[in-house]
Amino acid sequence: MSRAAVVLKLSLRNLFRNRRHSLYALATITIASMGLLIFMGFNRGTMDEYRENTIRARWGHGQLYMRGYREKAHERPWENWIESPQETIEKLRALPGVRELFPRVTIPAMIAAGGKAVAGQGEGIDGAAEARFFTRMNYVEGGDLNDRPFAIVLGIGLAQGLGVHVNDEVELVARAGNTALHSAKLTVSGIFQTGVQDFDSHAFRIPLKLAQQLLETERVETISVALSGVRAWPEFAGAANTLLPDLEAVPFDELDKVYYRHAVDWLDAQFAFIEDIVLLMVFFGIFNAISMTVMERTAEIGTLRAHGDSRMEIALGQVIEAAGLALLGGSLGILGGWLLSIGPLSHGIQMPPAPGLTRGLRITIELARDEALRVLGLAVVTSAAGSVLPVWRAMHIPIVEALRHV
Amino acid sequence: MALYEARGLSYRYRLNGHHVDALRGVDLEIKNGEFVAIAGPSGSGKTTLLNLIGLLDLPSGGSIHFEGKDVLNLAERERSLLRRERIGFIFQTFNLIPVLSACENVEYFLLKRKIRRAEARRRALEALDKVGIASQADQRPSDMSGGQRQRVAIARALVREPAVVLADEPTAALDQTTGLAVVNVMKHLNRERGITFIFSSHDPKILTAADRVIQLVDGRILQ
Repeated sequence: MSRAAVVLKLSLRNLFRNRRHSLYALATITIASMGLLIFMGFNRGTMDEYRENTIRARWGHGQLYMRGYREKAHERPWENWIESPQETIEKLRALPGVRELFPRVTIPAMIAAGGKAVAGQGEGIDGAAEARFFTRMNYVEGGDLNDRPFAIVLGIGLAQGLGVHVNDEVELVARAGNTALHSAKLTVSGIFQTGVQDFDSHAFRIPLKLAQQLLETERVETISVALSGVRAWPEFAGAANTLLPDLEAVPFDELDKVYYRHAVDWLDAQFAFIEDIVLLMVFFGIFNAISMTVMERTAEIGTLRAHGDSRMEIALGQVIEAAGLALLGGSLGILGGWLLSIGPLSHGIQMPPAPGLTRGLRITIELARDEALRVLGLAVVTSAAGSVLPVWRAMHIPIVEALRHV
Repeated sequence: MALYEARGLSYRYRLNGHHVDALRGVDLEIKNGEFVAIAGPSGSGKTTLLNLIGLLDLPSGGSIHFEGKDVLNLAERERSLLRRERIGFIFQTFNLIPVLSACENVEYFLLKRKIRRAEARRRALEALDKVGIASQADQRPSDMSGGQRQRVAIARALVREPAVVLADEPTAALDQTTGLAVVNVMKHLNRERGITFIFSSHDPKILTAADRVIQLVDGRILQ
């Protein structure tokens, strides 16, 4: 049996020696690990909910523009739009990860109904195709455009401003180029509430062909991309840039910096802060437990040193004890977190609207294996750190002083 | 060659702002195989002397040679190694490890010397048998009497086959009958194995068992 094995055996037995102290330390680590894991799961669920909302309500996984188009304002923007969109879409369809492609144009317009007129920022879209992918529009009345040629869907703020409901008629007036004004009478087929107040107050969507007619163009401003998943973006973007160098592929989180990127950064920062507090609790829990252990076993440490144990062997024993507690507590915490996620928290947590949103989200606790391992790692590292000072003390107690200790 | 040769040993420490001289120029020579008692009243320096020759502490002055080696010039790690290999200890309060059984307490330090498990167990049981306590090998210290615990401590000290066993008041926590029995076990092992024993006591009955008694008073050896 190696020396390390002997030290390990003694340390593990010591774990259960003073059960009250060990239980206290174990409970601290277990609860902290469980809390951390659940919070990580909640955070992941929140991020995923935000991400899905962003992707499936507005942007897709990303969009393609003519290179340089987004960097500056254009007097005649449509002159910088994508020519021959169908040909471009056919080429893009062969790229890795592509599920669907959605050509779009932006159309600023005045919308009038019942004597009221409101300025809106709309999009011309392929209603039937987009209905299959953009499933997070959250229609509070009616539904998607689908293939109706003279329909319009409105953000809830815009609809409220106009005082219209589903099946009401509105008149849309848009300027083509710098000259002609064109108008169309449209029937409201749906009213959506994505939750992003700014978007819902101005946004509308009409069929792509109608928008192109009103703008007198055959081009499209952008091609929105639906991929097999978020992770497919880098490969797709690289391939798209190689295949069509005139186009620029922009991911959804760059398109939606204000709503998504900032929210994610804010949540990440908040999470890091809470994580630090939890780890500090673990640190002091372990510090306290190991300090008590060293104090209680001072005479024993003296005996071991008298019989020839080196300072490092004494330190190793204490560190193994702390690590053992951390592994056990961390594992129990992970088990507890998992049980909570499949039990009481399996339906998620209904959250009120976050800052900048007008509707709440139901957040599911999404546990991930790498995060469970991270929790375990953090528990061990924090516990080891918490044991440093008491262990240092144990190493440096003079032997004769330790032997006198009662 | 003497097992121990100490010259001019002194030990001074501070207590409540005053210097206290626990030992004042002690000269000592102990030969291999001796059964020596250090006697003296409380505060005479018995424990301090045992601590110094046990390499548990460093003197304020003087020299100690153990098996011909100047041990005060050794590094901390070398002194630890020397204690592990050559010196056994028996303490007044037994100082057994409570989470280990009697047998495990004895074999613990053998396993740390990388002795194979089966061999360590055999030697531990043999040592327990020598002190008459083999039948309680699997009991934990909390389930044993004071005399039994001290016998385990003796077995622990002996099992590594040290050159010397230092016992600081080994009978102080025991009643006189048990104390005498423990000292007799030590003497038997001294006679049988030739291991040097140096123990301290202030009990005259216990001291009669010793071959030689070194009398300490106020940190000095009475000639």
